[in-house]
Amino acid sequence: MARIRKPGDRENLDALILISPLLILLSIFILYPVLSNIYYSFTKWRGFGAAEWVGLKNYRMLISDNKFHSALKNTAILLLYIPLGLLVPLLLSAIMREGLKGWSVFKAILYLPNVLGYIILGILFSVFLRNSGPLNTLLRSAGLDVLAINWIGTTKSAIHVVGVLFVIWSKIGFGCIYFLAAMSSIDTQLYDAARVDGAGWWRILFQVTIPSIRFAIEFWVVLLFIEVFARAFGFIFAFTYGGPGFSTWTLEFGIYILGFKNYQMGYGSAWAVVLFLFCAVIAYFQIRLIRRAEK
Amino acid sequence: MRFKITSKTMTKTVMYIILVLFALTTLVPFYFSIITSLKTSGEYASNTTGLPAAVTLDNFRMVLIQGRLLKYLVNNIILISGGLVLYIIICAAAGFAFGKLNFPFRLQILLGVLFLMIFPQMVVSVQVYRIAAAFKLINSHFGLILVWVAYFSPFGTYIMTTYFASVPKDIIESARIDGANVTQQLVRIMIPIGAPMIATISVIGTLAMWNELPFSLLLLQKPNLRTMMQGIAMMSGEHGLPVPQMTAAVMVSSMLPLILFLFFQKYIAMGATAGSVKG
Repeated sequence: MARIRKPGDRENLDALILISPLLILLSIFILYPVLSNIYYSFTKWRGFGAAEWVGLKNYRMLISDNKFHSALKNTAILLLYIPLGLLVPLLLSAIMREGLKGWSVFKAILYLPNVLGYIILGILFSVFLRNSGPLNTLLRSAGLDVLAINWIGTTKSAIHVVGVLFVIWSKIGFGCIYFLAAMSSIDTQLYDAARVDGAGWWRILFQVTIPSIRFAIEFWVVLLFIEVFARAFGFIFAFTYGGPGFSTWTLEFGIYILGFKNYQMGYGSAWAVVLFLFCAVIAYFQIRLIRRAEK
Repeated sequence: MRFKITSKTMTKTVMYIILVLFALTTLVPFYFSIITSLKTSGEYASNTTGLPAAVTLDNFRMVLIQGRLLKYLVNNIILISGGLVLYIIICAAAGFAFGKLNFPFRLQILLGVLFLMIFPQMVVSVQVYRIAAAFKLINSHFGLILVWVAYFSPFGTYIMTTYFASVPKDIIESARIDGANVTQQLVRIMIPIGAPMIATISVIGTLAMWNELPFSLLLLQKPNLRTMMQGIAMMSGEHGLPVPQMTAAVMVSSMLPLILFLFFQKYIAMGATAGSVKG
């Protein structure tokens, strides 16, 4: 070889070979779609033929669309469940930390909902909670008719049931395992010192445990935001199919119905741009956390 | 010391109660699902919560044959085994580069990849549909495999990257001196070293693909190409099926996740904490 190679040259070439399959696939199926979606949000397109430029029309439509308002409001309601989605697994793992060391049976139970996935969970609970379903039948036969409300059949309660089940319940198991793993790396001397100072359970929780796993907590909150904005489609699809009415529509679900059921793909793209912006903000925070972890 | 003992017992009791309650919230709907799947629609209407008076397997026969779940299972096996091979190669290769090699913009490219990880399928759905149509990949299992691998690889890459970053660098250096090229380094050294993490991302990848819905809905429109999740989600979402049949479908489709879980629990738990908890 005529050219004198620097030692780094080969490593660069190797790296390029290794990462190019990933980068090519990502460019075609994620990066380019994210970008070209912005263009299509300014067009009228029915999924076939040419897209027709309509300027800001889709965005004007968004502003006055009830379905869009509904989707935003529902997302906001789901976000309100995030504090509990943090506190419940955090407290549970603080309790379990005392006696739970590698107790695999418990882990298995906690993990079950996670493994089944959102679609199976959605169907399971849609059957269990429907007005004539097992839960209400049991409640009625126990004389508790007041409690046997039409959980997912009324517009008022449906989104809150989604909030409790999706944001809190479905993540308790994973959250516990996640926080227990983080807590296991806390220096036990910190606890001993706190106990010598006479600190009680709650003080230890707030002054030792929580500060020590602050990082994991921040990650968890970002994860819950991602779940609400970007991972709820399967659960909503199987659990309520957006209903009743638009009462459990989210941005994701709206894009599906508008784009793929109503063939308003240009308009659906405008929804997707809004969803993209929300996710980009969340992604920014997650990247910041990861960068801090790398250091 | 009396106080300490009681507080320990208290904690244990509280723990048990919480875990039992939590377990029940999963197991009770599941229990009702099992008994419902063994009833006829008529019996479910009159006897919603009791055990079936006459056990029937008709619901299972219905969803497996008429509901095509058996066919969908075959589709899933094809899709997931194809997808998994590609997914492992891509994640291991990229993880090797990001975790072990020095090259310009390494961190920036990695962060870019991670940035793309967050976007939900629906943000890109319209365009993925358009691109797939242009490449004639609608109603093609191969097309869905490519989209799946593109969508799920960033997370797998991240896990492989953090794992490979902890491997000592001299192993590769010495292979390089021996004249091994980059593919040989990947196949002979990195993949064997990364085996436990590759097992982890394989289980994660399998579950992710098994549970994936949006892309399958968009790309597989011919009924006989569909996936299991698509099949059962459509049964419940768009076309209301009789409840006993739906529960039978749930039972059938829970089998693979449960089996994977029983046999590969260790890897699933590893994946849960890998890449995220760092002190």
